[in-house]
Amino acid sequence: MEIIEKIKTNTSDDNLTEIQKICLNKLQSSPLPNPKSELWRLSNKSKLSNFLDYTVNEKDSKFDIPYPKNSQSTIRLIIGENCQIKLIKKNYSIQQLSQDEIQKYIKEQISFFKQNENWSDLLNLSLSCKNNILGLKINGSKIPPIEIFSHASSNSLKAKTLVIFLEKNCDVELLQVNLGKENSSLSQSTFFCLKENSSVNHGVVSYGEKRSNLLNSLNVIQQKNSSYNLGSLHFRFNYARFEISIKQTAGNAKTNIKGMQITKKDEQISTYTKIEFNGPNGFLDQINKSLADDKSHAVFEGSIIVPKIAQKTDASQLSRNLLLSNFAQIDTKPQLEIIADDVKCKHGATISQLNEEELFYMRTRGITLTEASKLQLSSYFQEIISFIPISKDKWDLLDKLLHDD
Amino acid sequence: MVNENLVKDVVKEPYKYGFVTDIDTDKIEKGLNEDVIKLISQKKEEPKFLLDFRLKAFKKWQKMKEPDWAALGYKKIDYQDIIYYSAPKQKEKISSLDEVDPKLLETFDKLGIPLTEQKKLTNVAVDAVFDSVSIATTFREELSKHGVIFCSISEAVKNHADLIEKYLGTVVPDSDNYFAALNSAVFSDGSFVYIPKGVTCPMDLSSYFRINSGDSGQFERTLIIAEESSSVSYLEGCTAPMFDTNTLHAAVVELIALDDASIKYSTVQNWYAGDEEGIGGIFNFVTKRGKCLGKRSKISWSQVETGSAITWKYPSCLLLGEESVGEFYSVALTNNLQQADTGTKMIHIGPKTKSTIVSKGISAGKSKNSYRGLVKMGTKATGSRNYSQCDSMLIGDQASANTFPYIKSQQPNSEIEHEASTCRISEDQLFYLQSRGIEFEEAVSMMVSGFCRDVFNQLPMEFAAEADKLLALKLEGSVG
Repeated sequence: MEIIEKIKTNTSDDNLTEIQKICLNKLQSSPLPNPKSELWRLSNKSKLSNFLDYTVNEKDSKFDIPYPKNSQSTIRLIIGENCQIKLIKKNYSIQQLSQDEIQKYIKEQISFFKQNENWSDLLNLSLSCKNNILGLKINGSKIPPIEIFSHASSNSLKAKTLVIFLEKNCDVELLQVNLGKENSSLSQSTFFCLKENSSVNHGVVSYGEKRSNLLNSLNVIQQKNSSYNLGSLHFRFNYARFEISIKQTAGNAKTNIKGMQITKKDEQISTYTKIEFNGPNGFLDQINKSLADDKSHAVFEGSIIVPKIAQKTDASQLSRNLLLSNFAQIDTKPQLEIIADDVKCKHGATISQLNEEELFYMRTRGITLTEASKLQLSSYFQEIISFIPISKDKWDLLDKLLHDD
Repeated sequence: MVNENLVKDVVKEPYKYGFVTDIDTDKIEKGLNEDVIKLISQKKEEPKFLLDFRLKAFKKWQKMKEPDWAALGYKKIDYQDIIYYSAPKQKEKISSLDEVDPKLLETFDKLGIPLTEQKKLTNVAVDAVFDSVSIATTFREELSKHGVIFCSISEAVKNHADLIEKYLGTVVPDSDNYFAALNSAVFSDGSFVYIPKGVTCPMDLSSYFRINSGDSGQFERTLIIAEESSSVSYLEGCTAPMFDTNTLHAAVVELIALDDASIKYSTVQNWYAGDEEGIGGIFNFVTKRGKCLGKRSKISWSQVETGSAITWKYPSCLLLGEESVGEFYSVALTNNLQQADTGTKMIHIGPKTKSTIVSKGISAGKSKNSYRGLVKMGTKATGSRNYSQCDSMLIGDQASANTFPYIKSQQPNSEIEHEASTCRISEDQLFYLQSRGIEFEEAVSMMVSGFCRDVFNQLPMEFAAEADKLLALKLEGSVG
């Protein structure tokens, strides 16, 4: 693992930014996460080391992303491609954050970081150079939908960082697409700060090609009366981790999460979520779906933390899993940690296969078994896909999933 | 608003089992090493295989680390500061209960345990364990007519060595975990039950564990074997005096159910929990596991955990036999500064196995109550099912309730369902009951017992009533 060696030695390089230096410093003593810690014990060690095997290539080679056609009304940005953006319209404005603003915000976040919990972020921030950090400040309403792309090209490891400030009363739809090429590793960290009364419909769609890897982390800070809706989909990765951390700093905020991960062949995809309520009247509705086929492994761990201050929190978490093969494996662990007493908190988890009665019914109506399974799967997928903004039709996600071999 | 003063005014029931019996005991020196183990084994006149078993476990224990993954915080235990053998001095062989030291009988009398003849009318056979040693077992003759063996494990080692050698350590291996290894090395006594083929045990069997001395640990070991088509219901109760120091209790319970056999194991745990400041109390680190070896066998755990400063306990079922059934019903109540990390493990190995988990946690005061459970479907567990339900009730805003269910499936043709919820005693409900003329304390107790009903329904009759009362007592003064 060349990168780990590099981390161990390379801290005095003058080209490094202050953030890179801080993160490298934090990683130096223990460059890899503790494999026995709760967050990493199910992670496939050889796949993680495969992730780190590629060399960091700061410059992007030209890479054709199979974008669906751009409609005029969407704003499209690619992290790493020197895009200057400054849109100031009547209703809204989208501007790039200055380096100082980005550094200040990230530095503040790093102070809360823990070695195992935020290892992916530390790695990302220590590798991600100035060009691969995109910072945006979004203000206003009636903003056209925004699409942001992040990708890694073959035989390389890319680290890309996105920082977004949603100003007060702002309302936006944003789709983030992470693409992996064959034999590549992408480290994507996103920092979201939702100020008071702001609202976002955030979509995260990540898909790779053969043997591509992804470490995707998402850190969201929600201020009072903000509303954060996340629809996410991860599939076709040799190894992928999606780590979500959401903090409702003063409560009174709403969070909706609908996520799905699909694993086939010998893939491993995991989702880890941590939702903290640091104020009263918080709301959470979370559903996570997994589908594991062939010899793959899907993992979900979600924790909800309700301290004493978070009275009247209403949180629910559901983990639904489909296990379709004798050799596949699913691990799920929804967790509640509660101290406040006047709260409504619940969670549920199920693991099963396709409903036989429904299949039988459809077959008696002349639908073949394959078709009937697809119909069932499409209804299983649809609940999540319909929650992902913008993408719905033009990305043909459902089609991609159903015809994905 | 709930009147806080009203609650505080309610007279707090002291821990009524907190007395110490003044009796001559045979104690060995503090500390643990091979010689101590040899001494324990020698005192109990054990055969060589058992001494080897102990020494092997001790060697493994020395290499192990105390687990720290549980959501518990307690001061480090000094394992060299514990007495590993303590027994009341009495005549070597007792032929009838009349020869038992009257002080001991009095102790159990005070605890409400029927050892003396006139109290034997209640149809429950009792094995009473005082500190490390079993002092009396009732109803033996009656049981032996049916071929049921119910005695202390030390007696079983002497009289039924073949069964002990065959089954001891087969469910909980000597190196299973840190506390089980320690128990395997130093266990002093416990109960042994053997139900022969086709026999339904004519009465409930019961063990009563009493810790009396403050500086000795209690390490009992229970082994229950249910042969083909047999069934038994076993009850376990525990109390300890009030000491300012923490006493270690590390027990191991092993259950084995063969074809069509069924074992029901019920516990009401009421060890001393320490005072309101969290001083004293029992550290309760227990490994309980049942193995459903036979087809259609069934093991059912039900527990009411109200005592102990620290509880670390996960009664589990290994479901090996086809169509075997595992059950776990639990109420765990923590108050003041108590901490409990408890739950179960249901390991589905055989096909068409079924398990049910119902766990109710109540946390009051500044306590910490966690449910931690594992449900695992192995690759061969086709057609298996699990249903888990974990509910927590919070009383006051200082207590914490955590739920950590681990769910793992490797078998597509199986189903796992888990649900958990958290609630509290709402003021609306209290107001409603009070407006109907029900006293405040009674209203709380009604609501708690309603919350726990699913579990109480599973307890044997006399235990259910006791458990209900126990919860009401423990919660007195905690709602405000």
